[in-house]
Amino acid sequence: MQASHIRNFSIIAHIDHGKTTLSDRLLHSTGTIATRDMEEQLLDSMDLERERGITIKAHPVTMLYKAKNGETYELNLIDTPGHVDFSYEVSRSLSACEGALLIIDAAQGVEAQTVANVHLAMKQNLLVIPVINKIDLPHADIAQAKMQLEDILAIPADLAILASAKQGIGIEDILEAIVERIPAPKPTGQPSLQALGFDSYFDTYKGVVTHVRVFNGELKAGMTVKLLHSGKSVEVKEVGSFNPKPYVRDKLEVGETGYMTANIKSPKDVKMGDTITDSRNPSAVLPGFKEIHPMVFSGIYPINTSDYEHLKANLGKLQLNDSAFVFQSESSVALGFGFRCGFLGLLHLEIVQERLRREYNMDIIATYPSVVYKIFMTDGTEKEVDNPAFMPEANYIERIEEPMVKAFVICPNEYIGDMMALISEKRGNVDHTETLDTRRVMLTSLIPLNEILIDFHDRIKSITRGFGSMDYEHADYREAQMVKLDMLVNGESVDAFSCIVHRDKAESRGRALAAKLKEVIPPQQYQVAIQGAIGGKFIARETVSALRKDVTAKCYGGDISRKRKLLEKQKEGKKRMKSFGSVNIPQEAFIEVLKTS
Amino acid sequence: MSDRSEPITSLYVHVPFCAHKCEYCAFYSEASNGEMINRYVHALIREMELVAHDLKPRTVFFGGGTPSILTLRQWEEILKTMERLNLLGAEEWTVECNPATVSADKARLLRSFGVNRISMGVQSLDENLLDRLGRIHSREMVFKSFDILRAAGFDNINLDFMFAIPGQTMDIWRNTLREAMAFGSEHLSCYEVIYEDDTPLYAQLKAGKFSVDEELACAMYDELLTTVEQGGYHQYEIANFAKNASAAINDFPDRACKHNVNYWRGGSFYALGPSAAGYVRGVRTKNWSNTQMYCEQLERGLRAIESKEELAPLARAGEIAAFGLRMNSGWPLAEFKHRTGFDLQDHWQPEIRQMLNLGYAQLSQENFHLTRQGLRYADWAAELFLKI
Ligand SMILES: Nc1nc2c(ncn2[C@@H]2O[C@H](COP(=O)(O)OP(=O)(O)O)[C@@H](O)[C@H]2O)c(=O)[nH]1
Ligand code: SF4
Ligand SMILES: [Mg+2]
Repeated sequence: MQASHIRNFSIIAHIDHGKTTLSDRLLHSTGTIATRDMEEQLLDSMDLERERGITIKAHPVTMLYKAKNGETYELNLIDTPGHVDFSYEVSRSLSACEGALLIIDAAQGVEAQTVANVHLAMKQNLLVIPVINKIDLPHADIAQAKMQLEDILAIPADLAILASAKQGIGIEDILEAIVERIPAPKPTGQPSLQALGFDSYFDTYKGVVTHVRVFNGELKAGMTVKLLHSGKSVEVKEVGSFNPKPYVRDKLEVGETGYMTANIKSPKDVKMGDTITDSRNPSAVLPGFKEIHPMVFSGIYPINTSDYEHLKANLGKLQLNDSAFVFQSESSVALGFGFRCGFLGLLHLEIVQERLRREYNMDIIATYPSVVYKIFMTDGTEKEVDNPAFMPEANYIERIEEPMVKAFVICPNEYIGDMMALISEKRGNVDHTETLDTRRVMLTSLIPLNEILIDFHDRIKSITRGFGSMDYEHADYREAQMVKLDMLVNGESVDAFSCIVHRDKAESRGRALAAKLKEVIPPQQYQVAIQGAIGGKFIARETVSALRKDVTAKCYGGDISRKRKLLEKQKEGKKRMKSFGSVNIPQEAFIEVLKTS
Repeated sequence: MSDRSEPITSLYVHVPFCAHKCEYCAFYSEASNGEMINRYVHALIREMELVAHDLKPRTVFFGGGTPSILTLRQWEEILKTMERLNLLGAEEWTVECNPATVSADKARLLRSFGVNRISMGVQSLDENLLDRLGRIHSREMVFKSFDILRAAGFDNINLDFMFAIPGQTMDIWRNTLREAMAFGSEHLSCYEVIYEDDTPLYAQLKAGKFSVDEELACAMYDELLTTVEQGGYHQYEIANFAKNASAAINDFPDRACKHNVNYWRGGSFYALGPSAAGYVRGVRTKNWSNTQMYCEQLERGLRAIESKEELAPLARAGEIAAFGLRMNSGWPLAEFKHRTGFDLQDHWQPEIRQMLNLGYAQLSQENFHLTRQGLRYADWAAELFLKI
């Protein structure tokens, strides 16, 4: 297809505003897919994506649309992941487009994710087409939505298209606007092929299938292409597009979107956002590439130590379709052999853990998640630490910096006070507040990533009775008084419970952990001391009192053999427990504590 | 190690009959039936004949079940057999009695053949609790039987009591203890109720009919220790207390049960009768727990052994170490070495150190033993010392 007849676009929206419904509508209206083939929510192919209503992978789909002007256009919809954890993936998918449909739910108005997504689209200089969706709802407030478009997002309200994805209202207008308003792709003027790889998946037969957008030149089977960032040259085996199933094409030309396969075995060999070019006559790299780095780390351990190899194999399988997920083996005294895993964010972490449990049937336990700290040492060197076990001694540390996020919180007016209190409890600063409408405000604040990892989102939901929303983008590192909190049982440190926390929170966290440990450690024949310590200083203490007795029963000649067997069995059981400070702690106890922390 | 050629000096005989089964009891015994008892007596005589050549009893213990349920005639048969087989003359010979089945002529008969110690299962002196436990005797019978036994010339009597019985309050326990002291028996055996699988009491516990009050049980144990001490008894094992002629005790009080001490010190003993478990030169044996089968075997001239077990030397030593620690005097180091061939301090060094560090044990040149506090954790100590 000629570049002038191609349009590349994404759909961005807050969760549940109708992105998936609208995508499906567009596929039907363009006849890409017949109604009878329609499976609810076509593009979210993983169970988990459907269940949680979030898109994890970027799926490109090619549609042919006959416009009112009589011409046929190739419309490429690139469905972007709908969560901030994947903001780099979102930015790569957006950079494959010239425009974006911005959906706003007429009954809800602008939400936090709307703001964050619009920021991303603006950074990519995309043409944004605002769509006010769900106008069929009785409490739809179109005027309000328009006002918010202008006030908060600085998008002229008269550009908005009124639609109901559910009832099929406004679909024609949207398709026409895509053709008319979104610019056609233009060649970049480079000497050869220049394409962006913006996602990939693993196919058992074809190997790694890379999603590509061609910016310049053409991509054909048989060519030898070079991946500029990974430095690899490969021969292209097949190119094609999706409708939404993959179909083979002769070639992909300027502006076109689709996939390519080559002799690529591991998704790690294709970097997200890599530039693909002719290996003999290379073009320049495309802008915006970043190496993706995991932001959050957690140890994943098999509950049955014998499952270690099995877990390793399954982590490898997951990684085939998720190149942002990294893992390497580590071991813990308390939990045995397992893996240190890196994720883009908390949702990513949850998804991986849940897939391991559900799709791969693994019994696993995960340690308290940690962000990556920058440690500046007194000798002038710098270290990155995401595991408390590797935290240097305090006297070698000059300062520590932690990653921050810029968070957008939208909440009803009456909860502002509670929300401010929550943000300050989370060591955040509110930079500014904006009134969204008569009912709601948006608080923009800078908060340490470590503080939003655990329960920030849930707390917002509970404070606002479900009406608040939150999204964020990564910001810079900032100095912070972080310390390593150790938990000791009878004087011996239990590695699974150590964590890096802010000095002001160390005490309460230490106390909470000590109290929980006290609950789960069974009474022994002697007193057990549980302590929380920073450096050498104790900040929390609990005591598990000793059993008062374990025997007052009689035992004569005929009882000895049976009794011995009973005691042997107990002793055998303790051998399988982990021992700290000569206290045998059942593995269930560790799991119990990790679950609740 | 005991010499292969020396005969075994300890004998246990199990009498597997009771007038009625108690609620908490997991011993092998069945409600009595005259015909079966006769058959049992003959099988037992057969069994005695099979092992007598290897026996020269220093201690004998008839337990059950209820040995006192045997009739005068049946007792006579057994005792005469023992006489014929040269099994009389034990230094300590105990017969267990139920207060409901003691009679003056039975007592005199036993005494005349050399039985010199009686162990009477009292369990409680509270009528309601006796009922609760399914005991067939009353308070009155206990007092009466005790007098009969004294009159028959028994100057070494043990009384068994239980605490932490469902429904037993601290007051009831104190009263029972006070009355127990008044008997002036030479020996007391007091232990906490155990809930054994397959007993009605256990079933009731599982069904939530009552719950176990651990705090109260501990308090009752404390009460027991102080009361019996004031009453002039010396604890020499977790659940056993005995009198001593003088204040100074050497290893055990005078009236400690020598037969039981032999168990805890890992000594050999023959055990006869259905379900009886013996230990002869390192081999544990267990007889069939079925009187019918037991009799059939012996009628064919065979021992009625259901299973045998022999531990490797170090494991056996571990077992001996473990059970010996139940006694206040623990292990004389030389005796342990002599009995097992292993040095306690060499092979159980970390365990000994752990117990010492916690203040749960004491070690001297000659002896290793648990302290008063440590004795409360004798099961744990046993677990530590077992070698697996
Ligand atoms: N009434 C009404 N409901 C809609 C409309 N569009 C989507 N929905 C409903 O809103 C919910 C969320 O839609 P979905 O497409 O999954 O949102 P996504 O999370 O942005 O992908 C679903 O229950 C849809 O049926 C609409 O135009 N009108
Ligand atoms: S009398 Fe003794 S052996 Fe017989 S049932 Fe009662 S407790 Fe058990
Ligand atoms: Mg969706």
